[in-house]
Amino acid sequence: MQTSRRGRWSMLLWVAPAVVLLVLFVYYPVVENLRLSLFRWSAFSRETFVGLDNYETMAADPVFWSSLFNNVAYAVVSVVFQVFGGLVLAAVLEELVRGRLKGIFRTVYFVPAVLSLTVVGLLFTFIYNPQIGLVNGFLDLVGLAGLKHSWLGESATAIWSIIAMSQWQSVGYVMVLFIVAMQRIPRELYEAAYIDGASRIQAFRRITVPLVREMTLLATIITISGAFLVMNEVWVMTAGGPNNSSHTLASWMYKSAFFNDQMGYAAALAVVIFVITLAASIVQLFLNRGKAVQY
Amino acid sequence: MNPVAGRPIRRLLVIVAMASVAFAACSGGGTPAPSGGDLEGKISFLHKYADPRYTPYFDAVVAAYLADNPKVEIEVIAETDQGVKDKLRVMAASNTLPDVYFSWAGDFTKKFVRGDLARDLTADVSGDWRASFTPAALEAYTYDGKLYGVPFTLDAKYIVFNKKLLADNGVNVPTTLEELLAACDTFKDKGVKDPMAFGNQFGWPAIHFMTQLNAYYVPPETLAKDYDPATGEFTDPGYLQALEAFADINTHCLTPGANGISHENAQANFLNSSSPMHYIEAVEFQVLTEAGGAPAELAANWDFMKLPAPATTPGDKGALTGAPDGFLINQSSKEVDIAVDFLQYLTSLENAQKLTKDLGWLSPVIGSATTDNTFEQNVRVVQDISEASNMAIWLDTVTHIDVANAYLNGVQAMLDGTKTAADVVADVQAAAATAKASTQ
Repeated sequence: MQTSRRGRWSMLLWVAPAVVLLVLFVYYPVVENLRLSLFRWSAFSRETFVGLDNYETMAADPVFWSSLFNNVAYAVVSVVFQVFGGLVLAAVLEELVRGRLKGIFRTVYFVPAVLSLTVVGLLFTFIYNPQIGLVNGFLDLVGLAGLKHSWLGESATAIWSIIAMSQWQSVGYVMVLFIVAMQRIPRELYEAAYIDGASRIQAFRRITVPLVREMTLLATIITISGAFLVMNEVWVMTAGGPNNSSHTLASWMYKSAFFNDQMGYAAALAVVIFVITLAASIVQLFLNRGKAVQY
Repeated sequence: MNPVAGRPIRRLLVIVAMASVAFAACSGGGTPAPSGGDLEGKISFLHKYADPRYTPYFDAVVAAYLADNPKVEIEVIAETDQGVKDKLRVMAASNTLPDVYFSWAGDFTKKFVRGDLARDLTADVSGDWRASFTPAALEAYTYDGKLYGVPFTLDAKYIVFNKKLLADNGVNVPTTLEELLAACDTFKDKGVKDPMAFGNQFGWPAIHFMTQLNAYYVPPETLAKDYDPATGEFTDPGYLQALEAFADINTHCLTPGANGISHENAQANFLNSSSPMHYIEAVEFQVLTEAGGAPAELAANWDFMKLPAPATTPGDKGALTGAPDGFLINQSSKEVDIAVDFLQYLTSLENAQKLTKDLGWLSPVIGSATTDNTFEQNVRVVQDISEASNMAIWLDTVTHIDVANAYLNGVQAMLDGTKTAADVVADVQAAAATAKASTQ
């Protein structure tokens, strides 16, 4: 069927508002941010063109590198615990838990994902409190007092404590994504496999994992991109401290812009974050191209 | 070079207490009444007192002002202490600063002045209104001879102590830093784990220690030179001694793992009498009263003292950490008349007394704290502030942001054992060099 000229114009008209909004609020800020990263400026001063100085400063900034490391750590741990852990949890709930319990467990795991990051951050600030916190209390209880720390107050433990909190909060969300994907897998495949003598683990490896591949890709992209955008939990729990040890790129960008009055430098950091997340997504999409599995 | 910012404010003054009493006695017409209701327009007003305990005061004052000025509208923007820092920057960058906005004294306000974002209020704050303030509070907002801010609160840092716990453990009120360390040792020997409750989650509580210790260990003239970004070097040996003194205080007195504890959590340990001492701002005294929610036993048994100075010191033993907080008027405000009138109303004697009565805060308005409207410690603290030889403005707002960050991060690193005092001095010197370069 041929689309008439009027129909094409009508189509463009319907799409135009979304395109305009997208250009105005997504693409224009990206380009403008790139321009601003070439200037030195603050909230209180005018712009001065400095070329690539902000990027040179970044390369020599130890907090930038430690923040990047923290983001990478966040991404690696999140892929292991959220994507792999969420997949396993979803499979366990779908295959092994029956009746009402299934709904209860789904809710229990998912509830943290709907809590405000600020609320969760404050909650874990108490849990990690070196004096009255549950973690140190538990270590005392089991006779491991030697492992007690000021979890958010020491450079060596602060970022890992935040990462741990994030896994607790987000694994349920990824689990639900996998449950949705698993419910689309025909039961007959499992029944046939079990008749052929497959174990549950074999069925998981040979049926579930391949058939939720697209969801795995999506979850991995979401998790890795999210890991490079982490900001709120860091700000609420440590504000990047102690001694800047728990900054991520986003929190360091925020601090550079709004506390250190280095807007140009912050814009350069934003460009780096954009490039990293974009590159990570493109690489994953490329690696998974044409590998969708269907039985 | 700016004559005031970058050095401890001169004299927060003698006069406050004496004048408080004197003015209170004859205060009927002490503060001029703002204009009488013929103003018309709308202003925005940003403050940093969003805590539910404090907002009723501001709501009430704004409502009373609007009742007197029915043709005026005020958009109130309430922020937290932490949140207002970035909110102001966002607003400044986007040229959307409110007509009246909060700002700390020191380099923080100077940024707005340098950016042409703060109105010169010298001509506006004059006559009786000007005379109603303690002079040192006005001086904190004066740069190059021009007044840019209206002081609203008066604050200073003190160690509060539980008199009963001191007596029960045979500890006298320390008068020198050495005695303080010995007192902490005594408490620990008697089984008190945390002689001085301390939470440093966001870094500023330790900076308040450093503000006072720098004033003790570094001669005032050197301090003034170094706190000015254009001339700061931080090469005086007193800076290292001050950091080492802080390390000593930490070892002997402060809560271990303090970087992981908020100031409020630490304060709970003082309130429940687990810790006999706590370093707090005078504006927090209210929470130590029964009206402020403190247990009756503590409320009846606390007193305050300055962080004791070392026995021998090249700095100013009479210096006191603290500063007024205040409000600026946007240089681009189209409703300057209303903004000035509102600030005059906000700082009238009547509202200053209400501030002290309702919130327990000290006001720079002379005669605002009396035995009739506040608790006994608050009246005495005004006297004590008046006896300070200098007010040392908070280190994280008086210095260039790079220097402030070097202190904030460095002292946190000292607390978790990853840096020494010498490392921090080196960081501060490097930051001062960067700051100096940026001003040239």
